[in-house]
Amino acid sequence: MARPDSLGQFEQLVLTAILNLRDQAYGVTIHAKVEELAKPKAVSLGAVYVTLDRLEDKGLISSWLSDPTPERGGRSKRCYRLEALGERALQDSAVTAQRIWETVAEAWGKETGLWGHRRPKWNPARPK
Amino acid sequence: MGTSPSQMEPGPPKIVEAALTILLPPQCRESVLGDLHERFVSRRQYIGNAILTVPLVILSQVRRVTDAGLLLLEAMALYLSFCVSARFCNGGIFLGAPNVYLRVALPVLAALIALMLADGYTRAEHRAIKGPAAAFSAIWLQFVMTAHSADWAVPVQVVLFASCAGIGTVVALRAVRPGQQPDHWRGLRRFAWMQSKSPM
Repeated sequence: MARPDSLGQFEQLVLTAILNLRDQAYGVTIHAKVEELAKPKAVSLGAVYVTLDRLEDKGLISSWLSDPTPERGGRSKRCYRLEALGERALQDSAVTAQRIWETVAEAWGKETGLWGHRRPKWNPARPK
Repeated sequence: MGTSPSQMEPGPPKIVEAALTILLPPQCRESVLGDLHERFVSRRQYIGNAILTVPLVILSQVRRVTDAGLLLLEAMALYLSFCVSARFCNGGIFLGAPNVYLRVALPVLAALIALMLADGYTRAEHRAIKGPAAAFSAIWLQFVMTAHSADWAVPVQVVLFASCAGIGTVVALRAVRPGQQPDHWRGLRRFAWMQSKSPM
């Protein structure tokens, strides 16, 4: 079984979407947010459900059914909330991502600027 | 230009919704049907969305409720019961047939698939009976389907003895090791019990 703190990239996207959506985090909104974050990659709704189930099994998020609404044909939403363990895992991932980005920016040199729009092309054989 | 309300399709096709209601596991039926309804734009888009979503939802639900250790024990019990029946029924004549160990593996495979699917569609408290019942049906369905095949048929006496012995063992295994619920369910139940005991 995977350790709860080891997150895949898609899991990070889903957790970020839940964190961002707060009380409005359910299947449709999470999918829309993940698709926005993963651009230009297309994301299927099924993949989001599978990841939500896995995150819930790991104890990183929890879910509950809301009241039925007419725009959903009188059906309930399954809303999601980030648990403390999930917040910590996401924070760890963000720190690692930040460290990676700092290292990459350092390797590419400061002439392009950390957040500059003229980013050099990826080239593993780039000379120093 | 936008579509006027009169030109818009009224909602998801009832027949597709009915089919999805049957196909989706009850644990996630309500929320998935609601999400698909909310995303409805046209019939074609709805059906496409459902085709891409529902198989993943079913697989995810099956994965969540499958206890790998228990499934392995059940596979061993079923296969062993078929091998023992092949050895002792009709004086072991069947053991001389070609591919006999592969032949008896097919009904075991059918039974395991039925067990996993039945668990995915059944509430935790009913899994001890509904899973074995589905596996028993799958063994006999597989027997009927291969009865006329000279290469894959298994004698009826072997299937009869093995299905009774094997499914009996599966029921016993589930009674001894009922670990069918995911951890977070157990956690929530434990938490609810603690809350009811606390003075607050």
